[in-house]
Amino acid sequence: MTTETTVDVIDKVLGLGPSSPLLALRDERAKLKHLTQTSYVAALHPADPRNFSYAERATLAARMAALWTSQELQAHYRDLAETEGASGDVLSIADPAWTPEDEASRLSVILRHVDLVTKNPKAATRENIEKLYAAGLDDRDIVTLAGIIAFVNYQVLVVAGLKMLRDN
Amino acid sequence: MSDPVHEFTLDALEWHPYVQPVDLQKATPEQLDALKVTPSNTKVSAYVLVLAQETEMLAERSPLFNDIMYSDGGLSRGGRELGALAASFVNHCIYCAQVHANRFIQLEKRPEVVDEIYNNGLDADLGEHDQALFNFGVDLTAHPDNVGVYQFYHLRETGLSDLEILDLIHSVAIFGWANRLMHTLGEPHRKD
Repeated sequence: MTTETTVDVIDKVLGLGPSSPLLALRDERAKLKHLTQTSYVAALHPADPRNFSYAERATLAARMAALWTSQELQAHYRDLAETEGASGDVLSIADPAWTPEDEASRLSVILRHVDLVTKNPKAATRENIEKLYAAGLDDRDIVTLAGIIAFVNYQVLVVAGLKMLRDN
Repeated sequence: MSDPVHEFTLDALEWHPYVQPVDLQKATPEQLDALKVTPSNTKVSAYVLVLAQETEMLAERSPLFNDIMYSDGGLSRGGRELGALAASFVNHCIYCAQVHANRFIQLEKRPEVVDEIYNNGLDADLGEHDQALFNFGVDLTAHPDNVGVYQFYHLRETGLSDLEILDLIHSVAIFGWANRLMHTLGEPHRKD
């Protein structure tokens, strides 16, 4: 992911070249732009991926982008998943219509949580966290998963807002 | 212990996590650094101690949040709080809404705006400028796949500059983030 850590992902997916007025506007908020990019790296490619592989993080992100029909981010995360070597079930995660055959598996429980918290976070309750524990996730796994979901949703909203500025 | 609160309120609340926070006495140097714990500042909220389970993300997220909400110039501080409040109403993050509604009142001295939102929720009838900010926050949060010329026109109509609109986008988006942590990893209780 060498290039991904140095190229600003949001500029890239929106196709903002050096002469873009929106690029100049984003650079007026250089600090938050930089921290948005470092947050991207922390969520998608942290130093220690622990129990969520880089490939799994990328396909989860592709799934969330697809749930919001954010085509630019979906394409980006599908490419990233390929770079990270996603295959088999992990690759299938990127398709929001796909769910694992075993409905009680760790991955099934994770995907139900990802889909709920992405599209309908207000419906989440304590019970949803208890299901994650029951599927074998530990405290840190749950915070990691919440962080990945929260970051990607932030990124979807930023890209949607910036697209509005770019196109009007 | 008091019961969890499931309705929007302006009363003082405290957040109780569903997951185990980091034990400050056993925190690693990386965790202490991300927590910004110093000998003179040892007071850390349960929320931040939960997020410290994932140090690398927390270390980037805290300064990002602060820059989005408190940077100089651009959209007013109160305007950013209104964006945060709109997101928190859509996502039903009662704790986030309480904190940022009270901060709006403190900054703007216009409690009637918050009263209208607390009474009528997403149908709140506000003055033109506040309405434009609030509606954009609601639309971007609920339908990020459907913001475009209509929303842009209303923001421009009320006189917002590009930088102000950019600040509004970020203040709404960072609550798309914060709400998904705070509302899903714990719940608020009324302070005794």
